[in-house]
Amino acid sequence: MDGFLLTLWLVRILFLLLLYAFLFAVVRVLLRDLRAASRSRGELGRLVVLASPRGEPPAGAAFALDVIATLGRDVNNSVVVDDPFVSGEHAVLTFRGRSWYVEDLGSTNGTYVNGAQVETVAAIGFGDELQLGEVRLRLERPQT
Amino acid sequence: MSAAVPALSVPALRIRPRMRSTELLLLGIVALALVVGASSLGATQRLLAARTAGESLASLDLSPPDPRGLAVYLAALFVVHLAFVLAGRRTDQVLLPAVAMLGGIGLLLMQRLPQDLVVQRWGDAALGLGQLQLGWLLIALTVIAALALAVRSDAWLRLYKYTWAAAGIALLLLTFVFGSEVNGARLTLAIGPLSGQPSELLKVILVVFLAGYLSENRTLLAEESTRIGPLRLPPIPYLAPMVAMWAIALGVVVVQRDLGAALLFFAVFLVLLYVATGRPAYVAGGLLLFVAGSWVLYNLFGHVQQRVDNWLDPWADPLGAGFQAVQALYAFGRGGLLGVGLGAGLPTIGGRLPVPAVHTDYPLAALGEELGLIGLLAILGLYLVLVIRGLRIAAAAHDDFRAILASGLALVVGVQAFIIAAGNLKLIPLTGITLPLISYGGSSLLANAIVVGLLLALSDRGAEPPPPPRPPRRGLGRLRRGAA
Repeated sequence: MDGFLLTLWLVRILFLLLLYAFLFAVVRVLLRDLRAASRSRGELGRLVVLASPRGEPPAGAAFALDVIATLGRDVNNSVVVDDPFVSGEHAVLTFRGRSWYVEDLGSTNGTYVNGAQVETVAAIGFGDELQLGEVRLRLERPQT
Repeated sequence: MSAAVPALSVPALRIRPRMRSTELLLLGIVALALVVGASSLGATQRLLAARTAGESLASLDLSPPDPRGLAVYLAALFVVHLAFVLAGRRTDQVLLPAVAMLGGIGLLLMQRLPQDLVVQRWGDAALGLGQLQLGWLLIALTVIAALALAVRSDAWLRLYKYTWAAAGIALLLLTFVFGSEVNGARLTLAIGPLSGQPSELLKVILVVFLAGYLSENRTLLAEESTRIGPLRLPPIPYLAPMVAMWAIALGVVVVQRDLGAALLFFAVFLVLLYVATGRPAYVAGGLLLFVAGSWVLYNLFGHVQQRVDNWLDPWADPLGAGFQAVQALYAFGRGGLLGVGLGAGLPTIGGRLPVPAVHTDYPLAALGEELGLIGLLAILGLYLVLVIRGLRIAAAAHDDFRAILASGLALVVGVQAFIIAAGNLKLIPLTGITLPLISYGGSSLLANAIVVGLLLALSDRGAEPPPPPRPPRRGLGRLRRGAA
């Protein structure tokens, strides 16, 4: 009878050990995933080009954004938008604490967020659409 | 592409199978653990039966108590895995195994409890607790697989948030009017032969609505404020839903007498508000509202008072109102560090179980006794894995709606598990909600299956981009408000 009880006890403990083996395997997967994510940190958002009739920048291109990103036709901008309807220094995107803001720098044709024209400064959330000239861009959450 | 390939190809057919080795490995460990657990359960039950009959066993029989049921469950898990592989979507690989483990532990528990605790009859056939739970688990796995494979766009959730909110409120009102009372709580809604607990489904609807509402107004709630003296409040029109939410939670307590659902709804609301805005002041304000509401309810309503008194001192009436709480505490005590072993706990007192609602409200007490502190910590760890995974999916989401939806779905399961676990352990007053994915019950399993299925769909890295945002409504001045 003692042999029975010992075997039974071992089976019981084996079940608990397997529960922890599962947790251990899961934690290894989670850690691997987190390490991969931490390597690509440092951006605060991304700007994805949705439509660009002139092809510069091409539709589908994505720009990782730092705290301040300037947009315009001039080559000194952080995101160069080469479109005849875009001003040299057109708009600036800034990250202030919790969210993004877009500021129109007195451009000729204006800056639009979700189809509404920006006067001076406007808040812009992730998923919102930005339009400069004929170029449409979308602000997306940083990729982790 | 060669020229022979037709120019028009149906996108749904261009799917290539994709191996999911992590999921397969984890599911393998789950299957092994469940088989070992079932063996331990079967052997213990046979040994105890022989002891009470005064016989001694000739050999140790390690076969599970219901090998067919377990085999069907494990087979269903691998069928779902195979479906995911064939569909080739790049969805999360940890969620399904974690859910499978929790569901499997629940299945073992239901097979171990007296089968006549819940009996459903269809003509001559009568199904006991274990078989019913197996049936619900299979339906839940089907729901998970269907949502994870079929949901490719979230527009139907995103665009109709007020429709969802209206549906939720309608469901609540239906329960108020037509619900039947069980244990003094008006929770169950019966339509013809089907009966269910709408509050379980309501929690999913609530998360969908809050994700839509908060993602649309996130910048406003996070950045702007109205000053009233030293207080910084969010813009007044945007405060209304918060107060409405608080009132609905109070209404659920007063009319439905459902403390658990009210606590869950309000907690999830506060958590999501914090996720969306990152402002602790909102949470502090919500907690103040919560404390004020609780105080008023405690003083006005007998059923709230009774719950709190039971929690403060269950030994005042150990054979009446405090019976379950006292027996659950003894069960945890008997379990100790390693537990008494599956099948060896919960002695019946005069033919009835010490904890009558063990399969719905107190599964943790039974598991704590039979698997001990070690086993209980592992189970809580599994819930943590679900929450962490959901938050990771949220962090990787492309836009605010998906991020808030994913974190809300994960946290609603986590918060519910925490509320019922803390209630079982007498850390907070007991509220009658289920332990997600382990407790017996169709509504609970289905609602949590919807949560897991949506999380899987949201985790797809190759999913469709979010739909374009709609232009803002006029008059609110959402964009033109200067922020300098």
